[in-house]
Amino acid sequence: MTDIAVSLQHVSKRFIRHVDRRNSLKERIIRGRSRTSEDFWAVKDVNIEIPKGSVYGLIGHNGSGKSTLLKLMAGIYRPTEGKIHTDGRLAALIELGAGFHPDMTGLENIRLNGSILGLSRKEIDDSTQAIIDFSGLREFINDPVKHYSSGMYVRLGFSVAVHMKPDILIVDEVLAVGDEEFQRRCEDHLYSLRRAGKTIIVVSHGMGQLESLCDEISWLEHGQVQETGPATKVIRSYLERVNNQESVRNAEISSDRSEDEGSMRAGSGQIRTRSIALRNVENKPLDHAETGSTTRFAVTLNAKESILGPNVRLAIQHEGGALVTMLNNHRLGTDLGVVDGDFTVFVDLLNTPLLPGRYRIHIDVFDHTGAKLLDNWSDALEFPVRSQRGEIGQGFVELPAQFYLQE
Amino acid sequence: MLTDLYQRRALIWAFANRDFATRYRSSVLGWAWSLLQPLATLLVFAVVFSVVFRIVPPPLGADPSRGSYAAFLFTGLVTWNLFNSLIVLSMSQLKSNGELLRKVQFPGWAPIFGASIVQLVQVVLELIVLILMFFWQRNVGWTWILAIPILIAMALFAQGIGLMLSILNARFGDVQYIVVVVLGALYFLTPVIYPMSMVEDTASNLVVFIQANPVAWFVQAMHDVMYSLQAPEWWVVPGLLLLGLVTFIVGLAVFNRNSEDIGELL
Repeated sequence: MTDIAVSLQHVSKRFIRHVDRRNSLKERIIRGRSRTSEDFWAVKDVNIEIPKGSVYGLIGHNGSGKSTLLKLMAGIYRPTEGKIHTDGRLAALIELGAGFHPDMTGLENIRLNGSILGLSRKEIDDSTQAIIDFSGLREFINDPVKHYSSGMYVRLGFSVAVHMKPDILIVDEVLAVGDEEFQRRCEDHLYSLRRAGKTIIVVSHGMGQLESLCDEISWLEHGQVQETGPATKVIRSYLERVNNQESVRNAEISSDRSEDEGSMRAGSGQIRTRSIALRNVENKPLDHAETGSTTRFAVTLNAKESILGPNVRLAIQHEGGALVTMLNNHRLGTDLGVVDGDFTVFVDLLNTPLLPGRYRIHIDVFDHTGAKLLDNWSDALEFPVRSQRGEIGQGFVELPAQFYLQE
Repeated sequence: MLTDLYQRRALIWAFANRDFATRYRSSVLGWAWSLLQPLATLLVFAVVFSVVFRIVPPPLGADPSRGSYAAFLFTGLVTWNLFNSLIVLSMSQLKSNGELLRKVQFPGWAPIFGASIVQLVQVVLELIVLILMFFWQRNVGWTWILAIPILIAMALFAQGIGLMLSILNARFGDVQYIVVVVLGALYFLTPVIYPMSMVEDTASNLVVFIQANPVAWFVQAMHDVMYSLQAPEWWVVPGLLLLGLVTFIVGLAVFNRNSEDIGELL
């Protein structure tokens, strides 16, 4: 007995990618062994040790090898190289309800699925009641499952699998099934398995869920382990990478309207807004704003004549339509002085207090009295706000606040 | 190897139960079809071959003065069907359970054996009809008891071949089509619709081929013990059992050796 539930040593898995699949005998005979096949390493030299009683997460992009790795652990695939050792009974939820027969009733399918997953007849008899209760499908249990809705189908599948009493439970993306209430019950069940000292290995794209559930996480990239460590730390660096990659792809968010000079525009036209771009404090282009770090809006304008102390106003509107705030230099006490020709105004949104979502900027430029509209640009810019912490739908802004116990 | 089968018997039973439960579920007559189908075949064949082609059946064991073509034909059909259906069923099992094998780890032979068990029940039902038929013909003898080891040997033999073909069919999808053609040819090289004596009289150069066909050995042994009520030479039944057992073990070994990565093949 060791305290390692699953250990992978230098595990690699190669798939042969047939450029033209030579699956028929004729082709085998006529053209001999396929020469056009190429190797594809879905998993390459992975070393992972999963301690007993821990919840272990796997993250990575689609196609990074997570599911292959799970199937290797579950024994569905054989590793091309390396060794896998598992200690304890293992149940894999690769797909819920795989193996249900549409013509059989729910009850018959519980029995069938239970034996496929490795339960003895007695164990099945003992847990049938609990499975039915957990699934909440008592009144439909004697109907053929082909009459079930897809939600009922996966509920039954999940119920069977979690009642196998495994020592090691492998969960692939199946937590996102069923309605809100059932999802909560699944999550509760996973927590209770964890309390009971079972080992859980989970693949998910729900970072928030993983962060709260997992002790340790491995981040896979092209079949290799990129980083292994405490959940919070690995998720943070993974999201950082994802965000960076995205900013490389679409270099910056900006708008330019120098083109439509001639069209009808509100305002006197003494000043014209030319462009607006999203930057960071080092003036590097951004494709999104980050909650908590400073975002700069670089607004380029052109004054047709010398203008004294103009007031530039940015209105920030949430995609849902709510006006979040308006920023203008007069109220913040900044005098832009006398401007003429092209000039750029930086508006730094310190420690961006916006929460994740999409926001829109509208620009108005007034004269020094604040009464005369010089230029107006509605929907000047639309930009996303993201967060490494992943909070979504909790409002628009994060207000500076503090919580503490009264002394 | 064989103890694995015993340990996973619950799983094999679960697949057998599934196939039992779903076999005729959406048909009105249900399991009656398992008898109606072979009886209909028997009727057609009996009319075509005894009335149109005038095939003369060999003399019955209990009363050499008469013969019954229907009883002769059905003896051969039951034996042939056992061989044919076990192979065809086994071959398709990996593919039809592919979805499952890709997602859950369990031995690939489990659904194959499950399907075969259901087929064996069908054979037992046919056998009961055959026995009733012979009672009606008053052709009863102690040699009947030998039909049990012969049919067991036939089942093992067919299952062994079925296991090998199923793994081959998972790799090369054309195998099933080839097998259907080969089985069709083999059927006519087996004395099911004609008695062996007829070939000896009219096409003696074919006799060698028929005698080289293992399925013909089983069918002839069945004709001997059920129809002619003669015990074959003492070595025939043990020989057939040995053949069946060896084929089964080789088939299972070949299957196990090649099915470890079955989830990737399907």
